[in-house]
Amino acid sequence: MKALNTIFDSLRKYFEAGGRLEKLKPLFDATETFFFIPGDVTKEGPHIRDSLDLKRYMSIVIIAILPTFFWGIYNTGYQSIASTGSHVSFLTAIFKGLEIVLPMVIVSYGVGFFWETIFASVRKHNISEGFLVTGLLFPLILPPTISLWQVALGISFGVVIGKEIFGGTGKNFMNPALTGRAFLFFSYPVSMSGDSIWTVTKGTGAHVVDAISGATPLSLSALSGPGMDISSSLTHAGYSMMKLFTGLYPGCVGETSTLLCLVGAVILVVTGVANYRIILGGVMGLLGIGLLLNLFAGDGHSPWFSLNPVYHLVMGGFAFGIIYMATDPVSAPGMNSSRWIYGILIGALTMAIRVFNPAYPEGVMLAILFMNLLSPVIDHFVVDFRLTKRMPNV
Amino acid sequence: MISLTIKKGYNLNVSGQPSSEVSDLKKPDRVALLPGRILFIKPKLLVKEGDEVNIGTPLFFDKRDDRIQFLSPGGGTVQKIHFGPRRVIQEIVIHLSDKEKKESFIAFSENQINAMDRTDLVKAILNGGLWHVLKALPFRDTAAPETIPPAIWVCLDNNEPFHPASHMYLDGKTGLFRFGLAVLKRLSESVCVSVATESPISDDKFMEMVTHQVSGPYPAHDPGVLVYHTKTHQLDNRSWSVTGQDLLLIAELLKTGVYPIERLITVAGSLAHKKYTARTRIGAPVAGLMPSEDHVAQARIVAGGVLSGYTVSHDSYVGFYETALTALPKGGEKEFLGFARPGIKKHSYSRTFLSVFNRKPLDMDCGMHGEERACVNCSSCANVCPVDILPQFTMKAIHAGEVEEALDHGLLDCVTCGLCSYVCPSKIELSTILENAKRDYYKESM
Repeated sequence: MKALNTIFDSLRKYFEAGGRLEKLKPLFDATETFFFIPGDVTKEGPHIRDSLDLKRYMSIVIIAILPTFFWGIYNTGYQSIASTGSHVSFLTAIFKGLEIVLPMVIVSYGVGFFWETIFASVRKHNISEGFLVTGLLFPLILPPTISLWQVALGISFGVVIGKEIFGGTGKNFMNPALTGRAFLFFSYPVSMSGDSIWTVTKGTGAHVVDAISGATPLSLSALSGPGMDISSSLTHAGYSMMKLFTGLYPGCVGETSTLLCLVGAVILVVTGVANYRIILGGVMGLLGIGLLLNLFAGDGHSPWFSLNPVYHLVMGGFAFGIIYMATDPVSAPGMNSSRWIYGILIGALTMAIRVFNPAYPEGVMLAILFMNLLSPVIDHFVVDFRLTKRMPNV
Repeated sequence: MISLTIKKGYNLNVSGQPSSEVSDLKKPDRVALLPGRILFIKPKLLVKEGDEVNIGTPLFFDKRDDRIQFLSPGGGTVQKIHFGPRRVIQEIVIHLSDKEKKESFIAFSENQINAMDRTDLVKAILNGGLWHVLKALPFRDTAAPETIPPAIWVCLDNNEPFHPASHMYLDGKTGLFRFGLAVLKRLSESVCVSVATESPISDDKFMEMVTHQVSGPYPAHDPGVLVYHTKTHQLDNRSWSVTGQDLLLIAELLKTGVYPIERLITVAGSLAHKKYTARTRIGAPVAGLMPSEDHVAQARIVAGGVLSGYTVSHDSYVGFYETALTALPKGGEKEFLGFARPGIKKHSYSRTFLSVFNRKPLDMDCGMHGEERACVNCSSCANVCPVDILPQFTMKAIHAGEVEEALDHGLLDCVTCGLCSYVCPSKIELSTILENAKRDYYKESM
């Protein structure tokens, strides 16, 4: 510890103004402050300060993501091996999963960090901890078959356009990870949607026999014609409610297990890092519209109308999105009542896109991004309303 | 009596609590007035070094209103006048003689006070040099003598760590306090007296005078917070306030005709050797209250509460209004992998450390505990703000130069309690930003 401190002290001179590596000061600072909380003291004002800083704050988010991350590794490996028809043991699934997921995470962190450092050096600000979250979230919302160059391109777009050109963490108005995903989604639709991308078959010697075997529950449901019952066709394809809840099925790396997303939600809400209003609001919005649709179910309407809305909670990326993406405090509104509105509208929009838009089987990404755009507007009206009730003091 | 519960705010559980004993300190050899620590005033000296002064001799007055005088808290010679940058008068030090002479003022009986003209009473307080303890909200500048305020708040308690509790300085002074209230009632139609619900005072005669029993976390007993939560009209924002100890000073002055010099000051903090409440004099030297065998070398000494106070050096003096001295560890050690520790002893408003399960008072030092970052809109500041300001939005309005918007947000309601700066995980100086904006607004409107 002391030795490490000495190393930092001896290296510091190269990064100070006038030093040879002056331009890389943010990189040095980021590394040093990772190991040591700086010894700055308060000048005036309140003399004591909370022990919580943004590093701790973001570390809690990372801890909350880890269950889905580990599950993502296992599940990806499992699906890949299972598609060959051979027996899957726990360890082989893990190793296969690591082989697929780790390169994605490394590329995501590496390329993202590269951009962070460049922007931090040029604009002379600190490298923010927020990136550690973005860099881990991004691979988890991609299909496992994605090419690494696409991961690099996506995270670059997310970090640069989604965040850095606005000034970095805290000043971005859209979730950077989702921005990157949306970029890939619209630029490379073939790699981001369809039935053949959810299971890695390359290098396993298997080929997907028919479309259904590779379909996600959502695309499967979207295929149902009028008069069909989605829940029974899901069960028929092996997607019981329990399976959808626990998450051993093909999908984006980290999104499949609603159970483990809930574990993350508990960590985030108990520590107060994520706002429960957004999560609850999202669930309410989704179920609300779902129940409303149930009222209109019947002949002539799409089979979506009669589906028990609880299925929507466990299918696709809704749980992952509402828990880890929508609760990003920077791109979410800052007032408690706006957070309810924001959450409810994300849920409702997700449902609307899934049911009424045949082009996109999944709606949560677009719903969150759209609400990111609207969150300053919601805040504006909520703050205005609140101020009308305040007795003026001028 | 009205019971009032303030919900928002936060109690810091700081270690180093004072014992409940009050000890009398022996007479110090020097006392001082600190004009630089009195908000907004423009002091004009009336004495020079070497002058003989008595207790109650005017030392300086406020150039903005020359009737507002500041009198000597001791008798002896003016030993030293310290000037700061741009010749700001920082300290006027009086070397006390063995037998201090006292100026005499007119004494009044309670009946005389009740029958007096308001102008005469104001003149008596002005001449007695204690008008400046009456502060006008929302800026807390000295009240304007001719104004009739909508209300005067007498706030007896202060739950910022660590101030003398009301029962300590009111002990045996119920009569004097009643006299003080009689004076205030001549100045305003409405006089509100607030006391903490948990206060041990049980004297019925005293409790008859109390109008508001207040409970709630810090800063529930601040006059600005009480006005915010009780106001029924916009004009109430211009209420006056006076602390319990200061009201006793006015009462003593008018009742006895002698300039009062007693002060109760709490000395506490984890690095203070002896943690107690001292009965001493206005402007007493810090060294007398906190002897140098204390760990003062490693300590930051804060006058006036750990959140809202200011740093004083060990060879300085306690300001007129300050009733607390706290010795805190300076902090500033680097912490290895600090963000990843369980933090059973790390104090935090959030629930991100194991200290949520730890009810014991925690050591708090003056470290920032992190680096400054951009606001991430976590709204911790809005959750603690006792007057429902949205500091994260107000701060952005101030940075954008939107003063009107900041005012709409309730900038002037800000009581500068410092909680928003304390809780901010991005280490933004919210409280200072709001306070400066508020002061700038006041200075422009002056």
